Amino acid sequence: MLLLFEQFLNGLQFGITLFLLSAGLTLVFGIMQVINLAHGSFYMIGAYVGAAVTAATGSFLLGLLAALPAAGLFGMAVEWLVLRHLYQRDHLDQVLATFGLIMFCNELVRIIWGRQPLFMDVPPWLAGNVEIVDGLLYPVYRLAVIATGLAVALLLWFLFTRTRLGMQIRAGASNREMVAALGVDISLLYTLVFGLGALLAGLAGVMAGPILAVESGMGESILILTFVVIVIGGIGSIKGAVIGALLVGLVDTLGRAFLPVLFRLLFASATADAAAASLSSMAIYILMATVLIWRPRGLCPVQSA
Amino acid sequence: MTRRLLTLLAGALFFALLPLFATFFGEPYLISLFTRILIYALAAVSLDLLLGYGGLISLGHAAYLGIGAYVVGILHQHQSEGMPLLSWPILVQGSDNALLVWPAAVLVAAFFALAIGALCLRTRGMHFIMITLAFAQMLYFFFLSLEKYGGDDGLSLYARNRLPGIDLGDSLHFYYVCLALLALFLLLAIRLSRSRFGLVLQGARENDRRAKMLGINTYWYKLACFVLAGGGAGLAGALLANQTEFVSPGLLHWTMSGELMVMVLLGGLGSLYGPVAGAAVFLLLEEGLAMYTEHWMVYMGPILVLVVIFAKRGLFGAIAGTARAE
Amino acid sequence: MKILRVTSLQKAYGAVEATRNLSLAVEAGHIHALIGPNGAGKTTLVNQLTGDILPDGGTIQFHGHDITRLKPWRRARLGLARSYQITSIFPQLTVAENFALAILAGHRHNFRFWRPALSAHRVRELLPEALARFDLNASAGRPAGHLSHGEKRQLEVGMTLVGKPRLLILDEPMAGMGPGGTVELTKMIRQLQGKLTILLVEHDMKVVFNLADMVTVLVNGENIATGPPDEIRANPLVRTAYLGEEN
Repeated sequence: MLLLFEQFLNGLQFGITLFLLSAGLTLVFGIMQVINLAHGSFYMIGAYVGAAVTAATGSFLLGLLAALPAAGLFGMAVEWLVLRHLYQRDHLDQVLATFGLIMFCNELVRIIWGRQPLFMDVPPWLAGNVEIVDGLLYPVYRLAVIATGLAVALLLWFLFTRTRLGMQIRAGASNREMVAALGVDISLLYTLVFGLGALLAGLAGVMAGPILAVESGMGESILILTFVVIVIGGIGSIKGAVIGALLVGLVDTLGRAFLPVLFRLLFASATADAAAASLSSMAIYILMATVLIWRPRGLCPVQSA
Repeated sequence: MTRRLLTLLAGALFFALLPLFATFFGEPYLISLFTRILIYALAAVSLDLLLGYGGLISLGHAAYLGIGAYVVGILHQHQSEGMPLLSWPILVQGSDNALLVWPAAVLVAAFFALAIGALCLRTRGMHFIMITLAFAQMLYFFFLSLEKYGGDDGLSLYARNRLPGIDLGDSLHFYYVCLALLALFLLLAIRLSRSRFGLVLQGARENDRRAKMLGINTYWYKLACFVLAGGGAGLAGALLANQTEFVSPGLLHWTMSGELMVMVLLGGLGSLYGPVAGAAVFLLLEEGLAMYTEHWMVYMGPILVLVVIFAKRGLFGAIAGTARAE
Repeated sequence: MKILRVTSLQKAYGAVEATRNLSLAVEAGHIHALIGPNGAGKTTLVNQLTGDILPDGGTIQFHGHDITRLKPWRRARLGLARSYQITSIFPQLTVAENFALAILAGHRHNFRFWRPALSAHRVRELLPEALARFDLNASAGRPAGHLSHGEKRQLEVGMTLVGKPRLLILDEPMAGMGPGGTVELTKMIRQLQGKLTILLVEHDMKVVFNLADMVTVLVNGENIATGPPDEIRANPLVRTAYLGEEN
């Protein structure tokens, strides 16, 4: 039972990281109708800048403060230099150009920081474990990640439902022409949304730093999971991103933790291990396929005009 | 004689005579490099059927390449161990015979394309791109966790497949086999693009709603295209496994799908011959840049971005002119 | 004989009822006009007839089949053709290929991978006639996207007719046409009169009263009157609800 609860928290923490990535990306997809493979690069840049500044200054907070604007500004630069020219093109061009950007970014961090992964320490004030319930020690840092993620989700909810900018962004997701007709500076709005998305990805990157290795290409493995989240949630829907991210985070973590145990009860151990390993690595894709058969446009499809 | 025909003849002549030059100038390495180019060209042409004719942006084409390669690898392993692959419900033995193994690679890849395509084609646009990518990644993880067949270390082949009368182990023989298969597939693809099937497919790409309103159920045509392209990639995978005598999950990785897409774009979308040029340019550029710097991708990336923004027709289009008169 | 019979059709978008308990019957061989002010639900109705959207309730019967829930391509196979408000062609294919596609569309046997499409038996038989009839001989080899607006319109209508449909739905065919084009198209529609059934959705009153055998007036998603043109013109309900607004 305790193990289940612990794995549940791990899944929640993973889901929240995924949410930070998918929230920005789903907006970019929904509003600009542009597919961006380079979103994972913002995550990676956030992680690298965070790790480097933390290592240089010894302060995790400074690392965080450097990483957020770095990822955000880099995102805006990418929008301004490359994607802006591709809004009217078909998705294939967008895929190819952003694939080129990934190649560039991955190699660039290798040139600057070398091929060896960087490791980031958990800051002392977030180190250690805390006893949540009787007998379950859980790392403080992971709890902090969950809390930060929830705070960001709340902040986004406030931004989108309570502010003018948020309403413009939501309106843009369902009807672009209408927003333009209302006299909103669309290209500025696009750049801002893009920057916001990149900043959130950067935040996810820094927070993942002490948990995972910071290395070139780290953005892509998580990018594909982010795609799965968006496909499950529905393009352009923040609510869908929340649901999708939590589903994927939980299914992946719980699958990896418990499928082997479950299979050992059913089959001989050698077969069980092999089958469980295959199945748990494919679990979220099977989840995606199921959602797809049932609702091809995702759980929370955005009505677009 | 048109410029287009001249370009094609020059290209065909170049590929046919290349081994002679390579041997003459004592650079046998070139034969193996160009064999690789031919194989990737085959995969790129199959992807062009999807991208250029079907308008279906699949970002998971490497999956079928990988499946084709694994069919060769797995059958080879069972052959050398003398253990049957399947004993129930039918007996399936391992094999090294190219006449059995390669068609099997095509069929298995096509079968996976059928299953995955049937699901993916329920969606369109960005959904389609992301889902094809996700399914390819799923297969990548599947092979990664397949310890019986090497897991992430991959599978080594002790020898290439056997083909009666031809020594596939000989680089020259193997080169011409690849060239012949590429030529055959190109011929098939070109005929296909002008056939009734090809016309319907292009209609569905141009204006799906209109095609439906004319009474065409476009879904099946797109699915057939997806399956054909998957089979083509499967054949390329089988050849690749033979060339490198090694199979690994890396073949299914999504960067491979991206690179195949880049080859199609560099060569010119929807031109079928173009991707052959695209594959050559991409691999030569990679070789060339890699000679000067280990960080070749830092140059390749921006080149790609610039090509996308400025050169829409691709190389083949720039050299040979567009197929359709203005 | 009624070729199309719509019974108690319902379609709502949230609180907005776009089609309200709508019934309508079209006599075979007639030109049946559908008029109504903007937002009356004409396009919503047409989209339900062609299967682009599905109704919430009611039935649609076409040529003896219940087509209420059939896919668009199945309806097309039964002989229901539609020409679009915004010209809908295959811009990168040549004019000949556009026609060939329309000619081959009704056949199940298009999984032919080897022989060129343009040399298919049916295409060779019907293509020259189609090109001549719609005055597009000179442009046969050009990409359809390069045609002039009028030519595109002709191609569009031509593609719809070449499949020999039983019922042709013309959705505002005069939209965006100059006076000359309107006259041409009116002439063409008149030539078709009696050969097939036409459901004509049109804004231009002159055209409607000129051509139609029967007129249906749609207001707020409801069929408020159906009858011959003269009767509709005289109907006081129609005058206040619709014609009054126009003048």
